[in-house]
This record gives sequence, C-alpha cells and structure tokens, in this order.
Amino acid sequence: MIQANASPIAGTNGASRALETVGAYMLALLWALPFLYVVWTAFHSAEYEVNFNLFAPITLENFVTAWHSAPFARYFLNTFMLITMVLASQLVVCTLAAYAFAKYDFPGKTILFFLVLVQLMIMPEALMVENYATAASLGLVDTIVAMGLPYLASAFGIFLLRQTFMTVPKELDDAARIEGAGPLKILLKVYVPLAKPVYIAYGLVSVSYHWNNLLWPLVVTNSVTTRPLTVGLQVFSSPDQGVQWGIISAAALMTSAPLLIGFLLFQRQFVQSFMRAGIK
Amino acid sequence: MRKVLKGMASLLGATFLTISAASSAQVELDFYYPVAVGGPITKIVEDMIGRFEQANPDIKVNAVYSGTNPETLSKVLTASRAGKPPAMAVMTALDMYTLVDEDVIAPIDDFLKTEEDKAWLAGFEPAFMWNSQHDGKTWAVPFQRSTTLFYWNKDAFKAAGLDPEVGPQNWQEIIDFATKLTVKDASGNVTQWGVQAPSTLVPYWILQGYAAQNGARLGDETGTKTYFDKPEVVEALQFWADLGQKYKVMKPGVIEWATNPKDFLEGRAAMITTTSGNLTNIKNTAKFPIGVQIMPGHKQRGAPTGGSNMYIMKDAPAEQQEAAFKLAKFLASTELASEWSIKTGYVATRADAWETDAMKAYLKEFPLAGVSREQFPYLIPEFSTHDSQRVQRAIDDAIQAVLVGSKSAEEALKAAQQEAERILKPYQD
Repeated sequence: MIQANASPIAGTNGASRALETVGAYMLALLWALPFLYVVWTAFHSAEYEVNFNLFAPITLENFVTAWHSAPFARYFLNTFMLITMVLASQLVVCTLAAYAFAKYDFPGKTILFFLVLVQLMIMPEALMVENYATAASLGLVDTIVAMGLPYLASAFGIFLLRQTFMTVPKELDDAARIEGAGPLKILLKVYVPLAKPVYIAYGLVSVSYHWNNLLWPLVVTNSVTTRPLTVGLQVFSSPDQGVQWGIISAAALMTSAPLLIGFLLFQRQFVQSFMRAGIK
Repeated sequence: MRKVLKGMASLLGATFLTISAASSAQVELDFYYPVAVGGPITKIVEDMIGRFEQANPDIKVNAVYSGTNPETLSKVLTASRAGKPPAMAVMTALDMYTLVDEDVIAPIDDFLKTEEDKAWLAGFEPAFMWNSQHDGKTWAVPFQRSTTLFYWNKDAFKAAGLDPEVGPQNWQEIIDFATKLTVKDASGNVTQWGVQAPSTLVPYWILQGYAAQNGARLGDETGTKTYFDKPEVVEALQFWADLGQKYKVMKPGVIEWATNPKDFLEGRAAMITTTSGNLTNIKNTAKFPIGVQIMPGHKQRGAPTGGSNMYIMKDAPAEQQEAAFKLAKFLASTELASEWSIKTGYVATRADAWETDAMKAYLKEFPLAGVSREQFPYLIPEFSTHDSQRVQRAIDDAIQAVLVGSKSAEEALKAAQQEAERILKPYQD
C-alpha cells in the first residue's frame, strides 16, 4: 500500500517520496491508534489502562473473564449461521436478478430496476416495526431465520452486479451461445467468473455488515440460542457499575478476530478488486 | 347411528382436549430487562426469577436481556406495535410519558385486587413513586432505582490538610475544598482535579441536582412544561460551568460518564458526583479510603431519583398480565427489594426493605450503603416529559455547549427552552 502511495508519477525525487512515506505512516498510525489501544488494554491488567509501561506484565485474564461472561461459543455459532445464510442467499438472488436486469429486455424493466434502487435510499431500521410484524405473523420471532430474512435480497448487490455484468463484452456472450450454452450456463461460465473480484468485495462488505449488525438482531431475538455476537458484547456496556475497558477490549478483539483474519487473508484480492472496479 | 357415534366421539374428544388444556395451563411470559450492568447482575436476576418459578410452578418466565435502556425501549415498542409485546419490561422511570402516549402499558391499579395488594403498592417510598404516577393512575412499580451521591478520596483530603471525615456541605465549600484539592505538577499541569461531575449520557440528571439545590425544577409534574430558562436554572448551570472555567478546579470541557468514576479511582479527581449505583463498585475497587455523603446544598439540599421501573404491557394476554403482576409483586417484595439492594447497590425503594435483618446486618458491615437513604427527604422526581428523548436531547446539548464554553448559560438554556416548548406544544391541553 505504501508503494502505491509513493508511485513514480507523484514522487519525482527521493525527498518527496520519503515525505510521502512518512506521511503515509503517520496516517496509518493515527488510524491504528484506537486499535492499538484495544490490544494494549486487552492484554494488560486494569492499572495499565491509562499508564503506558512497555514492560507491564502481559495477562490473558481479560480474555478468560470475557469468555466466561457470556456464552460466546454459542454466539459465534449463531453469527456464523446467520452470515452464511444471508450471504448464500444474497449471492444467488442478486446474481439472478442482476443477470436479468443486465441482459434481458422485459416489460416494466426500468420501473422494476428503479424500485430496486429506491430500496438503497431506505434505512433498514426504518422498516423495523413492519419487519417485526412480518416475522411475528410467520411465527419466526426469536429465530436465526428472522434475523436474516430482511437481508436475503440486497438492492446494493443487485445494482453492483448489474453494473459489472453490463461491462461484459457481448462477444463473449455470443460466442458461448454459438457453442450451444443455455442462459444459465452462460451466466455461470461467462458472467460469474468475470465478476469474481466484485463478488469477493461484495461478500466482505456484506459479511462485515452482518457481523456488526446489532439493533435488528437484538430486537427480533430473545434467547441465547439465537442471539449473535454483537448482542453478547452488549453485556459489557455497564454505565452504572463502571466500565472495565480491559474486559471489553478483550471481548471486542475476540469477536472481531475472525473478521480481521479474513481480511488479512483476502486483503490483496479485496484491495485489488476495488481498484479494478475503479479502473473499469 | 354412525353419525351419532361420530358426534359423540368428537364431543368426547373435545371434552378431553379442554380438560388436558386446563390441567397443563402453564402461563408463559416474556420479561424484558436491560440490566446493563455486566454478568453478575444478570445472574442475580435469573436467580430471583428461578425462585419465583419454584414458588409459582404454573408460571414460566422467559427473562430476556434486552440491551441498553434505549434499545429496550425500541424492542418493547416494536414488539408492542407488532401485537406481540412481552408481559412485563424494565424501562427507565422517565419513559413513562412516552409509554402512556404510545398506549402500550397498563395501569398497575387494574391489578390491585386485595387489600394486601394495595398495602404493598402503598409501601414504596413516595419519592420513588413520583415518576410512576400520571393522570391519577400508577403506571409502574419501582425496581432498580438510584440517586446521585457525592464521593471523596480521604487520602487526598489529608494531603490537602482537610478533615477526611467531613465533605463539603454547600456550593461555596465545594469551591473552597476543590481549590485546595486541585494539584499541579512542576510544569503547571493539573495532576489531580478538585471536583468532577459527568456531562455525557445523562447531563440533565446532574443539572437537575444543581437546580434543585438552587430551589428550581427543570419541569413540572404534568410532563408538559419545562423551566430551562428560569434564573435559578441558569445560575445552577453557571455554577457547574464556573467550576471548570472560572475556578479551574474541574476538568474543563465534557466529562465522560464512564471515565468520571475511573478518574476518581485513579486519583485524578479528588471529589466526584455519580450515581449511587456505582457505590459497590467504587468501594470494591478504590485503593484509598472513600467518603460518601448526600449532595451538598446551596439554598437547600436536593437530588433527583433515577433508574428503572417495571411496566406491565397493555396488549399482553390477561393471564400473562396477572402472572406479570405476581412477578412484579415478588421482585419488589420487602425481602427481595432488600436483597436486590444489598447485592447490586441500587437503592431499596420500600421503607420496610430497610428494616429487614439482612439489610440491618449489611448496613452494620457497610454503613455507606445507608447514605442514599439520608437523601430521601431531599429527593425530587427525575425530570421527565412527553417525548422525553427529544426534550432531553435539547437540554443535554445546551449543557454541553455551556461546559465547553461555546455558549453562555443564559443563551443556551433559552434556546433549549424554546426547543422544548415547540416539542411539547401538542401535549399542552
């Protein structure tokens, strides 16, 4: 990333390049500071929350306390089931919808597409009461399905994939058709592989959104067996009894670790996919 | 013949079904609570509910942890509008008007059947019932209630040459004590502030205390009028702001609710105001002897009540409401109210709960727990209005603007008053 910042176009000589590198590091440090603080407090006992001492004894006690404060193993499982369900459904629904919008002509297409776009303007929270009523009438309150139901289709996903599919050259489509491929086969063999970076980027955005979502899951679920990680983390917000930053930090680190690791693993593809999307 | 037989069989079947339904008629109810105070308190609630279920085998309670206070309110309103409310929920005392306006709670009076029920409800301290009464009805049962207390660091008092056993008794003494207690290092940076009061989360709650000490209220008891721009309120906010800006004995700017006790425990503030709910935590964590007293006065003593009450939902099925009332009566009984107070640090809300053997033994061992009771004669109801979240926002923003020095107290409170009048206009008839 630093290399990208210090690109040869911008830096004409060594001095300005060095300056840019220093600047980049400064910005990165500023950005990372809250995270570094979380790591610091998570691994140290309470007295080092505000006292910095490089040789302060490192402890894992905060993690142990946090882990035992709430059934996190169950919450991890619930979150995992939730995001798997949402992501799988979003990928299928959005792909099919985007394909139809991008490559087929049918009556009312423009109006339908506008209706999809209108959804982008509405905050999901504004529909909470309606969604709850729907979930209740289906008898789904306090289930993982209810948590995912409002998100099974995504206007953003449809829009993003439609734009990507539109950029696929018609020649590729025609070539596949001449080879005798049907519409579904064309979708799976031509469009989906070409949109892979977009799928990865969208998948990460979607997963991190649902990993962090709090209000709707909190409202629609009641029991430990359905609640996700974010609700479990809430147990630590205790303004009446004083806040134990160490334990909160440990819990936050613990629950966001899979996301962080996922991002580190996919970082190259993630950044590249956005850059490529930009070039197009 | 066949028809008759069939008819008889179905009749029999129906009777059988009704009987079995009646015999296994266990009432199941949802109870939302926002005990936003960490693991141990959740366990205390669950333990109490377990004992309730043992005593009432025909009732099953699903205790649902429902997030913070505002989140609990959204969850309850959402579920109520969808026609699936919990039978009972714990929500803040000042949510009463909102809940009445939304028409989602049932008056407690509807459930008072016996003389014993009435005596039970009459047994609460009047101060903790003020925020439950509206329109001649009682809408809530006091549960986890608190008030503000004044804490000081006895070691810091000794170091400053003050008597560690006596805290400041009025505003002038706060200034005098705090001036002595403000400690600077060689380069002039303050290492210990004399006094602190929190100005996030619920700034209006703290201002309410100063205003009461200056002989003023922030609003009336109908929940439709605010008095933000009264000279006494302006003076009260001016005093608060002066501690930081004029006397320079309070950390300037906005002080976070959660870091305020932390500053005290770390020795960066010698005297603080915070909720009585923090007493147990401060006692257990402080590495120095602490002093605790009721709030210092000015024209008079005064402090607001705070905390949450139990509400029974209007649209829950009747048998669930009855069961919920039983649960409320159980949780706020003399014994349990006293036990709840001992275990959590919330204020016991019934006079008789202060007289149980367990409470007497506890007070003997930890006398500071009795300080909040000394404040009972000076308590005022927590400031609450219709559409309370928006009105609160107006006054909270004004307080913070004055504390950071971007507006004068008079100007900020006048603007807040206008805003509140605009919000409350629809309710004023």
